[in-house]
Amino acid sequence: MLRIKNPFYCIKIIQQKVSYQEYLAARESVSTLGQPIITFIFIMALALGIVSIYHILSSDMRTYQLSAQLRKISTVLLVIGFIIIAWFHLRIYQTIELVYPPELANYMAANMGVSATSLRFAVPLWIETEKIYFWTLCLSIFLTVTNFRYDFSRTKMTALFSSSLNIMLSIFMVFSYMVNPFKEPLPGLHSEITGWYQAAGAGDPNILYGALYQLYFRIIYFYNSEYMWTHPPMLFIAYASLVVTFVGCVFMLFRREKIFDRISYNHAKVGYLLLTVGMLIGYPWAVVAWEGKEWWWDPKINGSIMMWVLYSAYLHSRIYIKRRNMWRATAVLGIICFLSLVFTYLLTYIAPGIHAISQ
Amino acid sequence: MTLTLKMKPKTYDFYLMVLTSAVLAIIGLVCLYGIGYYTYTTETIPQWTQTPMYGNYIDSMNQYIYPFVVLLLVVLGLCIPKRIVPRQSLLASGIGILIVTILIALVTDIGTSLAFLLAVSIVVQTVVMVLTMLGRGGLTYEREGYFVQTGSSMLHLGTVIFVLDFVSFRTSDLHLSVFWVATILITVGTVLSFYPDEVGRVVRLLQSGGGNS
Repeated sequence: MLRIKNPFYCIKIIQQKVSYQEYLAARESVSTLGQPIITFIFIMALALGIVSIYHILSSDMRTYQLSAQLRKISTVLLVIGFIIIAWFHLRIYQTIELVYPPELANYMAANMGVSATSLRFAVPLWIETEKIYFWTLCLSIFLTVTNFRYDFSRTKMTALFSSSLNIMLSIFMVFSYMVNPFKEPLPGLHSEITGWYQAAGAGDPNILYGALYQLYFRIIYFYNSEYMWTHPPMLFIAYASLVVTFVGCVFMLFRREKIFDRISYNHAKVGYLLLTVGMLIGYPWAVVAWEGKEWWWDPKINGSIMMWVLYSAYLHSRIYIKRRNMWRATAVLGIICFLSLVFTYLLTYIAPGIHAISQ
Repeated sequence: MTLTLKMKPKTYDFYLMVLTSAVLAIIGLVCLYGIGYYTYTTETIPQWTQTPMYGNYIDSMNQYIYPFVVLLLVVLGLCIPKRIVPRQSLLASGIGILIVTILIALVTDIGTSLAFLLAVSIVVQTVVMVLTMLGRGGLTYEREGYFVQTGSSMLHLGTVIFVLDFVSFRTSDLHLSVFWVATILITVGTVLSFYPDEVGRVVRLLQSGGGNS
């Protein structure tokens, strides 16, 4: 039976009020600093998209050079935005500390075998509205590296390929603007922190202890878990790499040039490796965190397996690319793989199951 | 059968690849069916995962996947050790193992038969991996090179152990330990297969560094 000693929190609540105000100020700063950045990103996305489409239609090399410049500026903006996000996450860690009263900590230790004295939020940089932004950032970095490694200006076709990649980036930047991680930064986490603060201020220890109890599991198994720091970023970096593979496969369908296969394959290797390791890392976490829940053959897991086996098939077929008709078959398979990737990503939002955000 | 045996090695390897890709694609289709079924059932019966229907769904998905996992394991068994054992013997033993697997499934259950096939596969793949690492057995692969060969054999062994873990150890205390063994094999195998030149450079660098010290 949990025995509650009310006076414990009198001093703590004063400290928490100060830290909560600091957290709110940091959140406000993120909006103030981030909104102009995301607006510039949107303008750059439109400019990059229009210039790249114009280059594809006109084959004018001057527009190709311009689109390359716009892509570089976009990457810089995305990096600046990400630094702001990282700073906000650091401020959350610094300002918010959940202190567990000894009687609650003892109760949890005795009944659940968990050690809870005080907890801070070490929030990963790719959750909630930040997911698409992180994916876009990774894509822009991949394009920077790819453009550095290959001289796309040497032929008309490779320049068109580069512009097509830029169009993909501009689409992702528009999505980032629509989702906008700066408008209401981390709305889910914010409501949890606000809920905890309101519970602390309510003066009813039962409400406060209930909030602290629930947040413990949320922090340990979600925000602060190694899984959240490894599984999602690996998948997002993989997804970004596989966007390049997709565009390469589309070009392979129309033009049999070795460079498209090489770029597609090089990015598929990075993507597949991270996809495999990222998916595997998720499993031991799921066994513990979702114990007793219904997650076997959940739509997202089905989708992930589907995507993985399709990419495995793509890599197998690519071994025989020099064989007759295999060039086209591999390209088609690469495109199907990417469609399955987009579908799998969207399953979180459109399908039911334990991964679903819509529920 | 006769046609297959008369094929040139390149043609034989190619058809094995086509078969592997086809089996993988079919597994993908089974997953697609699972997505459709789960979503549709949730629409019509919102709390169905709290009922015995969910258990039936899991069982049916396992039953749909098992034959293709068996086929995939048989193909892996035919693919990797193809240079150690003569192709005719390999095909004959592959068919023999498949028949035994089916017989065990008929006499006992699918899980036991799959465990048998996996145990045989692990033995074969382990022998292949050891021979490859030692540079023996006359092994040649579609893509040459020591690290590619070693990586490929590790990757395939890891995959087989991974499937075995899910079929036979899911409720065992060893489940996660076996899982990590498979994960390490798959990860290292993938890195070696994809980046043999880079790994080679690192190894040479380490060797020269060790020599200097």
